[in-house]
Amino acid sequence: MKRILLPGLVAGLLLFTISYGGLYIAIKCFPALFVEYNNPLFNSDGSRDLLFYSHAFIISLALSWFWERFKSLFKGYFIVRGIEFGLVYALVAFVPVMWITFSSLDITFVMVASWFLYGLCQSVIAGIVFAKMNP
Amino acid sequence: MYMPVFPPILVLYALATSVVCLTPRPSGNTLVARWVIEKNCTVRVNGRTNVNTFSCSVPGYSNPDTINCYKSNGKDVSVTLSGRMALPVNSFDCGNGIMTNDLRKTLKAKEYPVLNIDFLSLQRFPLLQATQEAITGVVNIELAGVTKRVEVNYQVSMDEQKIIHLTGTQCIYFSDFHLTPPRKLGGMIRTDDKLDVLFTIHCKMIAL
Repeated sequence: MKRILLPGLVAGLLLFTISYGGLYIAIKCFPALFVEYNNPLFNSDGSRDLLFYSHAFIISLALSWFWERFKSLFKGYFIVRGIEFGLVYALVAFVPVMWITFSSLDITFVMVASWFLYGLCQSVIAGIVFAKMNP
Repeated sequence: MYMPVFPPILVLYALATSVVCLTPRPSGNTLVARWVIEKNCTVRVNGRTNVNTFSCSVPGYSNPDTINCYKSNGKDVSVTLSGRMALPVNSFDCGNGIMTNDLRKTLKAKEYPVLNIDFLSLQRFPLLQATQEAITGVVNIELAGVTKRVEVNYQVSMDEQKIIHLTGTQCIYFSDFHLTPPRKLGGMIRTDDKLDVLFTIHCKMIAL
């Protein structure tokens, strides 16, 4: 349990900082990319802010458990193991989810592609943390 | 069989009379003008978020409403108005379906489908000339079930066809109407509380 929880929390803190910091900077630097979010599809009353900001910890703890179960499949230097882990997770989880999201919701391809890249970066960073802390 | 025809007619008459008597007509004032709102009036709302600006309008408002102008019998030069513009909130168009839907949701269009502007007063009776004249006035804006009295800056003019053009501007705040400006992605994308409202009304003066 400790081998899942501690790396999960460390990865969660790192993802929290990088993800929301990166999002903040991206909104400042490329505001035009975020105009599409002024859409009733997205929650607008602030009632789910806590859920939004806890996402970094949810994904990192879930990935930590996933890493513990399948880490023996990833060989090599810890950075390579982390990148491969992130790519595998993105391929298995994100591609199908983004596919159904794009096909069913009235959102743009750029928006879905940005979510895929965001998730891919998160899973690669988390993978590198897990490969270092829980080899 | 006896049919009580007269009593219902009397009741209806009494009701109709009371409705006429209840129509707002400021006491001690004289009706000096009656303006019929013409077609192609517009109401525009300009706002901004931290990622873009938006401009939403109700184009081609064409309800044949009337604005009555009353002057005080005393020395007061101000003009009391009675009249209303009733704008369907679902007519707001931001030129972008997504923004339009978001604004309608924010303004609670399903619960409160009409935005009312009640004209209450003018600082003085306008000169009604070709050149624009700046006059202030007071209106009540009823939005999302909340009414707020606001002072409006008008530009008033009258063209050669005797059409009166009133352009009013005023900034209002979502919070004045107990509305929450939209915020997305945990508040990272925020809409400003302030909105600039601009309405252009074209009226025809009718004989009293």
